[in-house]
Amino acid sequence: MTAPDTIVKAEDIHKSFGNVEVLKGISLEARNHDVISILGSSGSGKSTFLRCLNFLETPTSGKVTVHGEEILVRNGKPQNARHIEAIRARLGMVFQQFNLWTHRTVLENVMEGPVQVKGESKAEARDRAEMLLRRVGLQERMQMYPAQLSGGQQQRVAIARALAMEPDAILFDEPTSALDPELVGEVLKVMQDLAAEGRTMIVVTHEMGFAREVSSEVVFLHEGRIAEQGPPEEMFTNPKTEEFRRFIAKAM
Amino acid sequence: MNPFEILVQYWPRLLDGTLMTIKLTLMGALIAAAVSPVLALVRVHAASMAQAPLRIYVSFMRGTPILAQLFLIFYGSGQFRPLLQEWGLWSFFRDPFNCALLAFALNSTAYQTEILRGGILGVPRGEIEAAKAIGLSRVKTLRRVVFPHAYRIAWPALGNEVILLMKASALASVVTVFDLMGRTRQVFSKTFDFSVYLWAALIYLCITAIFVLLWRQAERRLSRHIGARHTPQATAQPLKETRA
Amino acid sequence: MFELFSYGDAGWGDEILQGLAITVQLAIATLPVGLCIGFLAAFASMSRARPLRFLGFGYTTIMRGLPEILTLFVVYNGAGLLINAALRWWAPEASPIDFSPFAAGVVALGMVFGAFAAEVLRGAFQSLDRGQVEAGRAIGMSSRQIFLRIQLPQVWRFALPGLGNLWINMLKDTALVSVIALDDLMRMTKVAVGVTKQPFTFYLLACLIYWAMCVLSELVLAQMERRANRGIRRA
Repeated sequence: MTAPDTIVKAEDIHKSFGNVEVLKGISLEARNHDVISILGSSGSGKSTFLRCLNFLETPTSGKVTVHGEEILVRNGKPQNARHIEAIRARLGMVFQQFNLWTHRTVLENVMEGPVQVKGESKAEARDRAEMLLRRVGLQERMQMYPAQLSGGQQQRVAIARALAMEPDAILFDEPTSALDPELVGEVLKVMQDLAAEGRTMIVVTHEMGFAREVSSEVVFLHEGRIAEQGPPEEMFTNPKTEEFRRFIAKAM
Repeated sequence: MNPFEILVQYWPRLLDGTLMTIKLTLMGALIAAAVSPVLALVRVHAASMAQAPLRIYVSFMRGTPILAQLFLIFYGSGQFRPLLQEWGLWSFFRDPFNCALLAFALNSTAYQTEILRGGILGVPRGEIEAAKAIGLSRVKTLRRVVFPHAYRIAWPALGNEVILLMKASALASVVTVFDLMGRTRQVFSKTFDFSVYLWAALIYLCITAIFVLLWRQAERRLSRHIGARHTPQATAQPLKETRA
Repeated sequence: MFELFSYGDAGWGDEILQGLAITVQLAIATLPVGLCIGFLAAFASMSRARPLRFLGFGYTTIMRGLPEILTLFVVYNGAGLLINAALRWWAPEASPIDFSPFAAGVVALGMVFGAFAAEVLRGAFQSLDRGQVEAGRAIGMSSRQIFLRIQLPQVWRFALPGLGNLWINMLKDTALVSVIALDDLMRMTKVAVGVTKQPFTFYLLACLIYWAMCVLSELVLAQMERRANRGIRRA
């Protein structure tokens, strides 16, 4: 049964690269206003899982439902591939390497999706892009090109770009891992604000502080499976599995 | 006529032309290879005023069609016939082979100079400083450190240049040298059988393929001491620079 | 001596300029043909279908290994035969088509340009940042939109230096068409030489004109590269 306020639901996601099974059946449900942090050591499959949600990786098998649009995958073949672009338009994504389009200005980067994918008018898209850029603190950089910005500023543009699509949920793929330590804070601050205003977020991260303070649920992946899952306070004070205990010990 | 009959009937001519093509290419490349190291050193070390003539030479050779360079030497020399006769050089310029060879050598010298210059500039400064530090003389530093390394860096590009020169050598046929292209045109004008062009194409491709294999073999020997980690590979084909 | 180059009956200035005009026309006509062939061959060699890939790589490998003048002769002599053979088979009554030296020049030079351009373009596509394509996918852009709005505008930046080089080479290669009797700069020079008996003077003039065109092209290309890179590097 799917609860009425479920936004993203993944059921029994498997993913293999060649003979290596990276995801061994993962299910996850994000309801409205959930902020889910996915933790795990490198190689645990957390980024792969996130990328399966919007089909940047095609799962080997499983089912993804986003706001009623359902895609079933069997033997690496999505059953109704037409819905993929629709699902992607509903899920924002923020990448580790920002992936801004270097040939477009900051403003154009944010306007691209609404104009090209949703078919909004330029004026409308521009208004909202300007508003979003103001919100992430970049009102002065709108006419600049990505290469002229710091990493933290680029990542904030990338967040504005994701927000411009008015997504039902936003996926964050290690959004602060490529940043110099002194720039991490400004990005986390923006993410914290988004969480506070009730955005649905799924965040793959190494930032323990964020997972503990901001998220409503923590999922710990180990060797392609969910090893532990629950409210952050409970998990961090009282880890149930040996793996998660070791993971926190190393991270602290 | 059947394509194979052409080959059966005319193979001696095509073979003769092939040998001429190889001769022209190798001689041109070798003459250029003998001159270019000195010019490359000038390009790297000399004061920029002193380099000006060399820069103009290189720019001219790269900025004009080889065919025009060839005509300038072969036909152009006729304008100075009395003078050349006086100096005893006329018999040299009367021979189309000599003119073609001179044109190709001059042209390839320009390209090889620039390639080697890049190689010399690519030698890590630390290696040169280390040579100085153990007291090697300037000449020895060049001979034992700079040039071996520069050639290893430049090797793939130099191979490319030889292939381009081989292709350019087909222009010699225009001034009546009987290289492979010249022989091919001769056979075509006799038989009007188009297949001879295809045989010529095949022979040119074979020459290139064999050359690439040999060049890679040599490259492997040149970079034995580097190990397998970052061996530059000769490209099978010229990449960007063509020439006419 | 300067009356030799003057305009009108006495000098050769006008003939040489006419030849130059043909050379420039040929180069400009060849560019789009060569780019089209280059794009097609590049797509073929990057395609997922094996036969297409084989075709693309085969084409670029063979064309780049052949002397340009051989390609020109093959096209000039061969394409005429081929077209007329096809025409006879298709419409036996039609009079044979004359494959003009200009057309042969455009096709042959375009084929050579295309083979080299395919390599340049393939390299350029491969050096594009994959993450930017993913970002396009992630907001739901279609493959077509990603190609037109993300890849194509950026591919120019990577391909421009290589393509510029090819343009200059092609400009020089146009001199070859004088061999198949097209009245380009090179051939008009030859005509002038035949009458004036001043081969060195006139071939030097021709060289200087080609040189000037190449230097000019380089300047324009440098300008274009600067424009294409605006915003990419920090000021």
